[in-house]
Amino acid sequence: MTDVVVTTGLTKRYGSVLALDSLDLTIPEGTVLGVIGPNGAGKTTLMRLLVDVVRPTSGSLTVLGVEPRAGGKHLRGRIGYLPGEFHVEPGLSGQGHLTFWTSISPGDRARVHRRAQMMAERLDIPLERPARKLSKGNKQKLGLVQAFMHRPELLILDEPTSGLDPLVQQTFLELVSEARDDGATVLLSSHVLSEVEQAADLAVVLRSGRIVREASIEGLRATAVRHVRARLSDADAATVGRRLTDVSAGLDVTADGGDVLVSGLVQGNSDELVKVLAQFTVADLVLAEPDLEESVLAMYSDKEVV
Amino acid sequence: MPLLIQFLRAGARSLMIWAVALVAVLAMYLSFFPSLGGAASGMAALVDQLPESMVKAVGYDQISTGAGYAQSTFFGLLGFFLGTAAAVAWGTRAVAGDEESGMLELTLAHPVSRVQLVMERTLAIVIRLAALGVVLGLALAAMSGPFELELEGGHIVAVVSAWVLLTLTIATAALMGGAVFGSRIAALGIGAGVAVLAFLLNALGAQSEENAWMSDISPFSWAYGERPLAQGWDGGGLGLLAALAAVFVAIALLVFARRDLRS
Repeated sequence: MTDVVVTTGLTKRYGSVLALDSLDLTIPEGTVLGVIGPNGAGKTTLMRLLVDVVRPTSGSLTVLGVEPRAGGKHLRGRIGYLPGEFHVEPGLSGQGHLTFWTSISPGDRARVHRRAQMMAERLDIPLERPARKLSKGNKQKLGLVQAFMHRPELLILDEPTSGLDPLVQQTFLELVSEARDDGATVLLSSHVLSEVEQAADLAVVLRSGRIVREASIEGLRATAVRHVRARLSDADAATVGRRLTDVSAGLDVTADGGDVLVSGLVQGNSDELVKVLAQFTVADLVLAEPDLEESVLAMYSDKEVV
Repeated sequence: MPLLIQFLRAGARSLMIWAVALVAVLAMYLSFFPSLGGAASGMAALVDQLPESMVKAVGYDQISTGAGYAQSTFFGLLGFFLGTAAAVAWGTRAVAGDEESGMLELTLAHPVSRVQLVMERTLAIVIRLAALGVVLGLALAAMSGPFELELEGGHIVAVVSAWVLLTLTIATAALMGGAVFGSRIAALGIGAGVAVLAFLLNALGAQSEENAWMSDISPFSWAYGERPLAQGWDGGGLGLLAALAAVFVAIALLVFARRDLRS
């Protein structure tokens, strides 16, 4: 399997602002990779570098085996791109936009146009209206159509589901999985994990232009934080607290009449925690679903926050 | 050439409005000529009353002939400024306008090269200005008889060509400003700046022999210095205009192909 995107020490500076800081990232063919990060983490910069809208300050990158600038328009014909800020020509109808995008698409134009029409129908876009009268959601749908219409080998989607209602988000997930079934590689970004979680196989967490975490969605889940709450009878708070510090520091241990209450967040594998609790009489135990959102937020704010 | 077609289509209404405005202004000015009595009128006497420097600055010294009148009231004045306004607006829109509105990022993420974008949009501006030129030429030819201007057909083509190339030079200056700096303000400033400078250098250059070098470097003088409406083609002047426009486009291509797009 080849790698569709490879970056080595990829750095982008805008004046004094370091947008990407020596990024090493590899996206294997056929994967759906979600890039998560707060605003300003470098998600958009990464995507704009891949389509040669901006050029790296240092480091190297290849997309579908070619450096984006050298690949030029031929390379961009193999990519479908949805910018984070999607703008339309106000006076031009949706139909006019499809015709224009078809005219600058590679390959069999008639087929591309037919596919664009079908997608527009599927997404229920009112094509006759001038674009300025389209709702934010409908504009975003037009953006999705232009990214997918020519069946690109690589899809680069910056915040693809912003402004879409839940029903259309579902259609979007279908489009992504259909593209993957066709052999396409997908890179999509979001500042919330839940959007990426459903579509992606792999996730990369960016913060201040660096990768702070790279894992499968399953892997993220495994190390995610969970809420725990336990009531132990026949125990004293001091003993429980002492034994717990070895496995999971930071839990609240309080005495409540004859019982001891344990509560807080536990990260990753809960096996050891459960074993410690089992040494006592467990009157009640709640171990919640892993909360990916919270673990990612924790990564966002970890260490030196910019 | 999809980008050219799209750009022309988006600007079709604005082209029509400019054409109507230009013809209306042309008709308004030229219609006064017969009532001023043409060559035999008191016009010459009137012009004699004006300060000499002003007469030279706006070229009123030839105002008693039909060609001189059309040149100094329309082509050298309001026709120039209207043409400049259209040229600067289109030149600004071509790169900087679309870049600031965010449209360009999407277009350039498609299989479209930056060189292709600049070239097709330049060509679209050439087509629009040429269309305005054709409209102006036809209008001028139609008005020549009724308004007693006694213009020659070949000279009309010559002056319209000069007007088209002069406004094109200004448009390409604005386009270059956008291509280099990616900002609407820069594009507008550079386009309008070239126009104003060309006009001023021409006006100052006409004042005295010592100032003649100013005319030599003024695109305005290149276009109109040899009085094309009275004397016909001035290949040298038109060549200089075309060359300057080509330099502006070349700079635009060189810088635009290399720089980051602004977000």
